[in-house]
Amino acid sequence: MNKNSAIYTFTFIFLICVVFGLAISLVHYSTLETLAKNEALNRNRVICNAFLLKADGESPKAYQQAIDQNINARILSSDTGNFETFFRRDSENPDVGFVFSGMGFWDRIEGIIVLTSDLSQVINIQFLDQKETPGLGARIEEKWFTDQFKGLEIDWTGRSDQRLIVGASSRPNITNRVDAITGASQTSLALEKLLNSELNQFREIYNRYQSEKE
Amino acid sequence: MADTAKKIFIKGLWEENPIFRQVLGVCSTLAVTNLLVNTLFMCFGVMFTTALSSLTISILRNYIPRRIRMIVQVLIIASYVMMVDIIIKALNPDIHRFIGPYVGLIITNCIIMGRAEAFASQNRPWSSFIDGIASGLGYSLILVAIALIREPLGFGTILGYVLPAREVWWHQWTIMVMPPGAFFMLAIATWIGRNLSPATPKRQG
Repeated sequence: MNKNSAIYTFTFIFLICVVFGLAISLVHYSTLETLAKNEALNRNRVICNAFLLKADGESPKAYQQAIDQNINARILSSDTGNFETFFRRDSENPDVGFVFSGMGFWDRIEGIIVLTSDLSQVINIQFLDQKETPGLGARIEEKWFTDQFKGLEIDWTGRSDQRLIVGASSRPNITNRVDAITGASQTSLALEKLLNSELNQFREIYNRYQSEKE
Repeated sequence: MADTAKKIFIKGLWEENPIFRQVLGVCSTLAVTNLLVNTLFMCFGVMFTTALSSLTISILRNYIPRRIRMIVQVLIIASYVMMVDIIIKALNPDIHRFIGPYVGLIITNCIIMGRAEAFASQNRPWSSFIDGIASGLGYSLILVAIALIREPLGFGTILGYVLPAREVWWHQWTIMVMPPGAFFMLAIATWIGRNLSPATPKRQG
């Protein structure tokens, strides 16, 4: 057969696509279980870190135990959306955390933010998943950045898009601001936008849940 | 093809080293060499892809239509990279979180495309496989050497284990963790490599 003919070219590329597509699917399928386990372990570890829980080791079982002993999880839902919410089982510090998500600069950013039970202060923030630029936007996961959120006072009285501020502010001495990442202005802006949007939505649902509980 | 397997191997590993001789694969060299464990996983990815893509392209070289050969090469390379990505994600998700974006970029790593086009598309499968392994090893040799200097100087650790000096008197060099440290080390590695093995062949007689 003439190697330069259209039929040969088409058949060849089609067969190559089928063979390699099948090979990738096979590798993916054979690792599905491991990937799911890894995903669960990462999720539990992030929850523990967000609530500053100390697990008894690094094993999946240790993280699961720490969560089972200290955290209640439930879904709070309303017409506007659902929030996977975590309540710390501690009468002195009944902190509440929820999973936030939204568009970053390149892709979805997902994380957990833990607040005091009156939603006035941030206890901690941790990220579950992000695909921002390595070395720039991806630095939102680094400790120096997440540590800035600890103790921030959420401004529930001001503008709804400035509950928390990531980056510069014209107002001096404010207690709801963290430094942005140099060279990653777009990720910083996207994070600020998604955090404020999620905080506003969550407060509405959380307040309703609290009033129903009482 | 007169070269023996040994000659091909030495060429890929040293004489035509992808990093200091051909200056290919520099992006990932700068990005992943601040920790040795990340470097080792990256080297595994590149070696796996270079060897298997060269082997596959060589096996298919007489059947690939010439005008679409580069599309086919990229498709084969991309398939192996996706497999490597899935394997690293399953083996060590923590490392995958850090080097994941660079694993995807192996597809555009010039070493692999270069070996496919310059060697595998014209040579027999076994020679191409050896050439792929040697190029991957040549890349790994320089990356591991750089990582072996950057990690101790930058973090005071080797493979995550804290070196005794860090606890007593060593103050970590932050610049070694950052991209400028990689530039300095790559330049030094290139300088040493080129001095040890000059490009100009010696005159006979």
